[in-house]
Amino acid sequence: MAKKPNLYALLGVLRSATQEEVRRAYLRAAKRLHPDTNTAPGETELFLGIQQAYQVLSDSSRRSAYDAQLGPDEELPPTFINQRILFSRKEISRMKQAQLVYVLLDLFPNEKQKRENSAAPLNICLVLDCSTSMKGEKFDTAKSTAIHLVQRLKNQDLFSMVSFSDRAEVVLPATRQVNIQRSESKIRNLQTSGGTEILRGLQAGFEEVRRYASPRSINHILLMTDGRTYGDEQACYELAQRAAEEGIGISGFGIGSGWNDIFLDHLANVTGGTTMFVTQPKDIERLLNEKFTNLSRAYAENITLDYRPQENVEINYIFRLQPETGPLASGSPIRLGPILHDEPLSVLIEFRIKPLPERQDALNLLDGRLEISSAIVEHPIPPNPLILALSVKDNPTPEPPPASIIQAISRLTYYRIQEKARTEVTAGEYDQARDHLQNLATRLLAQGERGLAATIMLEAEHIEKEKSFSQGGEKQIKYGTRALSLPKEKRP
Amino acid sequence: MITCPNCKHEEVDGAIFCSECGSQLIKGENVHTQMIQPEVSDDRVTGPIADDRPAANNAWISLHMLDSGQILPIADQTEFTLGRISDNQPIMPDIDFSAYKAYDNGVSRLHAVIRHNNGNVIIMDLGSSNGTYVNGTRLLPNTEQPLHHGDVVALGKLKMQIVLS
Repeated sequence: MAKKPNLYALLGVLRSATQEEVRRAYLRAAKRLHPDTNTAPGETELFLGIQQAYQVLSDSSRRSAYDAQLGPDEELPPTFINQRILFSRKEISRMKQAQLVYVLLDLFPNEKQKRENSAAPLNICLVLDCSTSMKGEKFDTAKSTAIHLVQRLKNQDLFSMVSFSDRAEVVLPATRQVNIQRSESKIRNLQTSGGTEILRGLQAGFEEVRRYASPRSINHILLMTDGRTYGDEQACYELAQRAAEEGIGISGFGIGSGWNDIFLDHLANVTGGTTMFVTQPKDIERLLNEKFTNLSRAYAENITLDYRPQENVEINYIFRLQPETGPLASGSPIRLGPILHDEPLSVLIEFRIKPLPERQDALNLLDGRLEISSAIVEHPIPPNPLILALSVKDNPTPEPPPASIIQAISRLTYYRIQEKARTEVTAGEYDQARDHLQNLATRLLAQGERGLAATIMLEAEHIEKEKSFSQGGEKQIKYGTRALSLPKEKRP
Repeated sequence: MITCPNCKHEEVDGAIFCSECGSQLIKGENVHTQMIQPEVSDDRVTGPIADDRPAANNAWISLHMLDSGQILPIADQTEFTLGRISDNQPIMPDIDFSAYKAYDNGVSRLHAVIRHNNGNVIIMDLGSSNGTYVNGTRLLPNTEQPLHHGDVVALGKLKMQIVLS
């Protein structure tokens, strides 16, 4: 690996890249590595390399001269991710009605790259809600878990901590080699008081992570709250958007039943992160540690699907099955989240196809590329093109869908029935909501999911009597059906 | 339109589960290892094949398991993954070798893929832990390697001979 990488590898483009792609890659790389914003050692040299690569590759005559000298055999860096694509069917019928096609996309680390690159350092900020409602066991467990996290840090990791209520305070400013004793006493001394204004906490956390954020570290904000924020939701989303653009992820932890799951899910989604539901204080430790482990196992911390809409096709639903489950927001670009060292990223997409014109023989479901950000490698990674196409026939041969797609869709169906029931309760259609929940419970009983089925049956009764979900039940069903997509040993 | 057999709800074509009650609407493929009688291989060598034989006999490739002597024919798919199913992992290989002591033999969950295109048959290791071998030579992961009739493939220690039709 001592060999100097070629100019294509420096910029992170394929040898077949168009001028436009070269330009885009340059802008992206330059933004990541500009000396004004990046102080990490070695990055100025990288930045100069990128400048040089762009000067050559953006000039078509210099580029062809370089190509000639490079020779056709010059090896490209090995692929960074391997993809596996399964279709629910490969041929669709030409018909005057709408139809559905499912695609299961699995992205795996490349074994060779995995062996050759070691884990990236973390740059994490824990943003902890210290409002009055946190008082008691929740707060004590959160504090002791925070101390435990500090003890787990490696030398190269950056850690910071912010507490917030109606104002925010930096408890531990971002630093490497955190002084364990001093941090411990600072964390222990935290007290609860005041209301919940998430934007304040998020802003302070963002500043801490951003100070040393680098493409070579895993930059992430862990937001832990038990309450609702009022009036600043939109500003929070905008901040999350900015964080995502700067390569900073956000994950949420909602404790108990009073927090706003729709808000926290959306906030995390914007950055490719996830939200966990902490049902009881004792789960705080397990979930926070699990998240911490996942962050340090990241092979690529974020995969973004950038695509152009195709005629007659729309993405109806997109859901991540692994490593952390949850629906994703459709609309390009979609932040799919991380690939872990030992766990692929697995995404299920439902495409809705409109009635097709007479003479069409092929249909592009999706034309786009996967942008890969990974802190474990020095150079930017060329995007993986992703084109999903089907043939259109008058009488397609019926073929059974692959079993893994069926299994994935069955779990997703449960989650979506739950979503339906929630919408119906909001719209005042209580009978429909009850019926849906009862159907769902029946399915789950058949699958041996007795605990969750029982919760759902109780909730169906509650809706019938009270015309609303119970506070905790709604979230238990949502995160419970979501967790069905996880392998059994990973379920809560 | 597809009508759900359970609740009569109408679903758009291509739907696999009823969005109202969660019933499965269409049958899936059988992922379990197909067990096949030894006659199949005799049938293949002894003469012309009747048109009405079952689909499983239409195999373009068969895997001859060297330990047990069983023959697994593959028909409908032009591409299939080899591996083993482990408890409730969402990733499932098309051919599951669990019945052949896959775990003890060092077969990864998603070990290798065999693909048929334009008359060529290729195999590719999918980054397995214990490697894929063709006639004793270990393959580079994620690199395609042509397969020929009679080649012996080993997934970890699980050996099989390739029989092309």
